[in-house]
Amino acid sequence: MSEKELLVQAMKDGDLDTSLRLAHRVVGEKTPALEVVGALIQGIREIGEAFERFDIFLPEMMLASNAMIEILKVFEPKLKAESPEAQTISGKIIMATVKGDMHEIGKNIVITLLKANRFDVVDLGADVDSLEVIKAAEREQAQLIGLSALMTTTMLGQKEVVDILNDMKIREKYKIIVGGAPTTQEWAARIGADGWAKDASSAVALAEELIQRKGVA
Amino acid sequence: MGTPPYRIWEVIERSETGEFMEEKDFIHKRLLVEIRRAVQKYKIKYDPQSPVNADDGLADAVWNAAVETFLAIGIYNKSTHRVMAFTRDEVNEALLGLPGSYLFGAGKDARPFTARKVEDKNPPFMLYSPDITYDERDHFKACVAFLKEPLLDGICAPILENFFGHKISSHSPTELGGSLMHAMNLKEAARLVGRPGIHCVAVGTAEADSSQIHVSSQDYGIRTTDSRLVASITEFMTDREMLNKAVHYQQFGCYSGNLAGAIYGGYAGGAEGTAVLQTMYHLMGTLLYSSHYEQNFPFHLKYGSNTGREMLWIVSVYSQAIARNTKMPQTSNGFANAGPGTMMLYYETAAHALASTVSGANLWEMAPTRNKYHNRGTPLEARLAAEVGYGASLSGMTRIEANKIVKTLLEKYERDIPEAPIGKTFQEMYDVDKAVPRPEAAEQYREAVKELKKMGVPFPY
Repeated sequence: MSEKELLVQAMKDGDLDTSLRLAHRVVGEKTPALEVVGALIQGIREIGEAFERFDIFLPEMMLASNAMIEILKVFEPKLKAESPEAQTISGKIIMATVKGDMHEIGKNIVITLLKANRFDVVDLGADVDSLEVIKAAEREQAQLIGLSALMTTTMLGQKEVVDILNDMKIREKYKIIVGGAPTTQEWAARIGADGWAKDASSAVALAEELIQRKGVA
Repeated sequence: MGTPPYRIWEVIERSETGEFMEEKDFIHKRLLVEIRRAVQKYKIKYDPQSPVNADDGLADAVWNAAVETFLAIGIYNKSTHRVMAFTRDEVNEALLGLPGSYLFGAGKDARPFTARKVEDKNPPFMLYSPDITYDERDHFKACVAFLKEPLLDGICAPILENFFGHKISSHSPTELGGSLMHAMNLKEAARLVGRPGIHCVAVGTAEADSSQIHVSSQDYGIRTTDSRLVASITEFMTDREMLNKAVHYQQFGCYSGNLAGAIYGGYAGGAEGTAVLQTMYHLMGTLLYSSHYEQNFPFHLKYGSNTGREMLWIVSVYSQAIARNTKMPQTSNGFANAGPGTMMLYYETAAHALASTVSGANLWEMAPTRNKYHNRGTPLEARLAAEVGYGASLSGMTRIEANKIVKTLLEKYERDIPEAPIGKTFQEMYDVDKAVPRPEAAEQYREAVKELKKMGVPFPY
């Protein structure tokens, strides 16, 4: 195994100490940072897929994602130096569980994978007022808003965000993804969201697709 | 007999005086770490060949791991960002105060609700509940249909999604109105079927503390002979709204249960950690909320159900851990993958009822289609669970015998869990006006019972 491969494996194992030790060694080598980061992204996608299959569980995925985030910090200066025009993040996303809803685990899983896939994520937490979501998106100049709801009585919070964006005539500024147990693709279409994610991996893929379509990345 | 509230104000004071901590640190540095440590220390290991555990040593190890982890991490209050900690003496004192049995309901409809033992020959208390939402126009008749069931000891009614045509929105006037409509439908239905004192766990339409308080009434709402639920926040967290509910239930004078669903695959990790966490929730209910019982619904993070092999193992292990070490009555709440009118739902229901009954739990059945699909729940699956619960207990079925049958049942459905059929609606299965099953649904039920009997599933007659 090369040191690059060992680094990817340490990240997948969630071994932060080994990951950082190897990262500092590999970053000093001749291998382009883009190539190493590409291998790491492939590795974290495999972790996401393993989690979706339940070959691993949330704690293991969180450890791997945390290692990934810390490794990327080591490579970021080299990445910028190698290709100043390249995007070091995939896009900026506002994430929230809607008003009246305290359930956060689904949202947090999505955030974990988004961050590991180089998205800049602002987590507003749970029970977030619709207007606060929009104000945060404006303030942070986000490209995408992700809204989670776990109850039939709180799903309306997702619709409320879309409605207010329409009323404020800024709907086109943001892509909106909704998710959560009671939600469906039909619900997303009915309220005018741009997409519905059934799980964390599909949320990442959808975010990439929507932001690319928006012409950011 | 009720349990006295456990030092309620001294406990709540810890919301303000406990150790300050950020939520992510509580989850990452305490909960995750301590559960993993306890699982390793007590050598807790999931056995896929034993979806119904028969190892007393394992059940006791899970109990010891749960107590140790509970004492190590405390409970996080999201409203104040403080950890509410407890001592071993407090755990012992609170558990000592549990009477082990209550009388749920009123008058001729009152029923004993007890802390059953492992392989107990006394039938489980049968709480019928679909745990899903119904059309407003059919909600009352759905309540009637459930309340007509002879083996029903208590009911947690169908939930409302609309109120006077408006979609109910959490923490809004529509939720207050819908919650009262729910309570009134339930009580009126109970009176009309001749069971005015039947025990109700209500109301599921009420998410907010204000909505729960709104329906408390000896005259037109939920009475002191009924019970109410207070939940927790994933995982092992509370907030002021939950504590408001707990205090209201104590001061109103009704029974209360702690609604807890540890997530398999979530922060607790696999089956072993999830079993420990679900056991810990019983301590949270007793010491934090002064709950009279524990309403358990551990579920699979991906599927939202608890009838898969690893989920049944979790159910059997924590139920036994509690039944062997406490006098706390517990209910086991089934969440099936398939919908009404499918054989898969009946297989899942039988497996969940069997695993729970022989492990010392009372039954709270059955939420079909992972409680995700509107109108897709009927009294028939709850009836099946009740009959299996009676059959298993009255026949003196052992855990080893139940394990063999559950494995046979799993072979019939576990591969279909990811793409389970959603089946039919209540309206398709029932003559709604008469609140009885349509002839074809009744015939299918009889056929299902015949097939299950051939597979060795015990029925009382």
